[in-house]
Amino acid sequence: MSSLMHHEPEKKRELVEADVRERTYVPEILKGIALTTRHFLRNLFGERDTNPDVVERKGITSITTVNYPEEKVDYPPGYRGLHRLVPREDGKPRCVACYMCATICPAQCIYIEAGEYGGEDDQAESRVIEKYPKQFVIDELRCVVCGLCVDACPKDAIRMDTYTHTPSGYDRQGFVYDIPRLLQGPAVSHPSDPWYKRGSSAPPDHVHKEAHTRIAAGGGLAKRPPLVEVMKFPKP
Amino acid sequence: MSDEKKVEAPKPVGPPPGPPPPKNPGMVTLTIDGKEVVAKPGTNMIEAAKAVGVDIPYYCYHPRLTIAANCRMCMVESSAAPPGKLVPACQTGISEGVVIKTDTEKVRAQQKMVMEFLLLNHPVDCSICDQAGECKLQDYYMRYDFEASRLEGGKVLKNKRKKLNDLVVLDQERCIICTRCVRFMEEVAKAPQLGIFGRGSHEVVDISPAYGKLDSNYSGNIVDICPVGALLNTDFRFRARAWFLSAAPSICTGCSRGCSTYADFMGQDTYRWRPRENEAINKSWMCDVGRLTYKGLNKHRVLHSGLGRGAEVKDISQAKALELAVEKLKAQSGKVAFMASPVASNEDLLAGLAFARDVLKVKTVYASGRPAGQGDHFLLTGDKNPNRKGLENIARGFGLELAPFETLTKAMDAGQVTALFGLGAEVPEADEVFAARAQKLELFVVTATNESKVTEAAHLVLAAAVHVEDEGSFTQEAGITQRVRRAYPPKGDAQPHWKWAVDLARGLGLEMKATSSREVFKQLSAAVPELATFEWDKKAPLNQKRPGIGTLSAAADGRPPGWREQGVPNLRGLTLPPGT
Repeated sequence: MSSLMHHEPEKKRELVEADVRERTYVPEILKGIALTTRHFLRNLFGERDTNPDVVERKGITSITTVNYPEEKVDYPPGYRGLHRLVPREDGKPRCVACYMCATICPAQCIYIEAGEYGGEDDQAESRVIEKYPKQFVIDELRCVVCGLCVDACPKDAIRMDTYTHTPSGYDRQGFVYDIPRLLQGPAVSHPSDPWYKRGSSAPPDHVHKEAHTRIAAGGGLAKRPPLVEVMKFPKP
Repeated sequence: MSDEKKVEAPKPVGPPPGPPPPKNPGMVTLTIDGKEVVAKPGTNMIEAAKAVGVDIPYYCYHPRLTIAANCRMCMVESSAAPPGKLVPACQTGISEGVVIKTDTEKVRAQQKMVMEFLLLNHPVDCSICDQAGECKLQDYYMRYDFEASRLEGGKVLKNKRKKLNDLVVLDQERCIICTRCVRFMEEVAKAPQLGIFGRGSHEVVDISPAYGKLDSNYSGNIVDICPVGALLNTDFRFRARAWFLSAAPSICTGCSRGCSTYADFMGQDTYRWRPRENEAINKSWMCDVGRLTYKGLNKHRVLHSGLGRGAEVKDISQAKALELAVEKLKAQSGKVAFMASPVASNEDLLAGLAFARDVLKVKTVYASGRPAGQGDHFLLTGDKNPNRKGLENIARGFGLELAPFETLTKAMDAGQVTALFGLGAEVPEADEVFAARAQKLELFVVTATNESKVTEAAHLVLAAAVHVEDEGSFTQEAGITQRVRRAYPPKGDAQPHWKWAVDLARGLGLEMKATSSREVFKQLSAAVPELATFEWDKKAPLNQKRPGIGTLSAAADGRPPGWREQGVPNLRGLTLPPGT
């Protein structure tokens, strides 16, 4: 109660009477016409900037409408587009079929079947990872484009950085994407990838040495890892 | 307990004063985390703590193996320990009046240190590890550690893919050297072929040089008891994630031992057997041969009833099959012989034999079933039929003569049997031989779960469900009756053997009222003394954590199974490559 007692009294607002200029409306109408004319001329002769980042737009014109599909704007950075399976340097998917994306997917649109590389399979990077996806299918019609699959992936094997949306089609079957359709874009590798640590799943011959001596000798690395760089997907 | 009160010794007269008399005579009373526990002498601290709901973490301890106390995860504070020291809860016996604390600063620090140590050279390749989801390293890391690794430099590299035999593959990097597998092979499997080799960080589990590969019928159990993903089953590996599977309590039907199992399933497929604790039959173990018998539940199943022999067979619906079977059996009325397979459950046999006695009016039932095979020193028996005892009991109870299979084949060869109804298509001789014999029959109707040469020779095959597809019970060789639970509905157009028997009886003019296997048992088991006392409902192992809520989880950490237990995703007609 006491706080109410000490409340400051409301300020009185004074009514200002409108003068003749305002009551006739004429100057106000002229002001409005001038503004409309300015925008009209600006949009008629001015240059237009279609930068997807609205704040960064530099052009004179204020029009933001794009004549889609004749004109297309670039999607902003971080746009969650059509999925892709990220290839390794040897062209196979980085995916190891861990089912994390299929587990997290709220729309349940990812279907995976895991397979095993044979022990004798010494082709490229496959030699140190036994597991790979025999089937990796995304039903893009069920996908809600939430991007959780990308967040959940422990191997950086699925990305949505294609900067295109799912193209429209005439049949539902066409929206079911399998490995040949998903595996696209530039290859990606990280220094932590297991094929930089060892030659095969068998124990390396320097195994008797302690860990620190192995690193110093440099014999433990099968191949020098490349510099880390963020691969950017070429915009269409 | 109160009778033993007078056992209390009189107070000692002189020094030294003895220990105080036990609070509960004959038992040991101690305090764990402030809760009073009364336990049998000789219990270890982990088991005593479990009784009052206190979880002490451990890796190397296993109730059925000797104590190694080498993982150091179960260290707790005890009032009986030397000052400032912790004791391993798995190895330390309990004594009267001891106060144990499992949740102090010191214990938590110890658990954290042990976890960091165990994870030091662990590859953390959970993404390709099949143990993920039921791995104690994962669970305890989240519960007791939750810190980043401080290791600088590389981890020790070992062999990631060493095939111990056709069933078990070893990843030495993931191993935490708890020696459970070594102890199991020595103590339970009686095949001491595994050992620990090397020193320090380079220690590995491996096969003794004297053996090229692990040679035991019980090697699959080391996969189950491995607390991490070091030992994996090549048959199950990469086929499903543990958190997608649901579990239903069932039994292995590979031999007459009837080991208790969990059927881990997803959709309408069983993915593996996991042995289920059963002190009377299989303890915690099962054999490698039995472990692979789940395949018969998925593959080469009779999914639709079939009309016609050999290549002329065509699929027909359940209703049509029933109609035809009634028609054909009616035509051969009075001449139909009946054979029953001891692979079917008690309920199937109860309904089947009642049908045989009351409708087909037979006096003799011929016992078919799988041919006898090799047994071994531990669990596997020579009789490969899980319910022979049940068949014998039911036939005796129903006043039917149970004749051996040879009698049937002789009668068939002599032309005395011209029409045959088979409950189950398993025969104790080579399928081809019996199929040739069956060619001469005027009528051969059989309820079958799996396709074989015998079903090809039948005029009419009625698609039958396997034991995980219905509730039921089995009586194993020692006379123990076990209940099995239904995991999923029957595949395709199949229905249980008992349902075929009930439907056929109705078609042929005998009203059998049963609409479920439970009702079959309730109505017909009274005539069988061995089954009359069996509490069908009470003996059913739980297949849900709480009534009405979901299925049991197959993952060891008990998290609820995923959505996929209801079926496989619709691929909208996308064709999968052959063999997937």
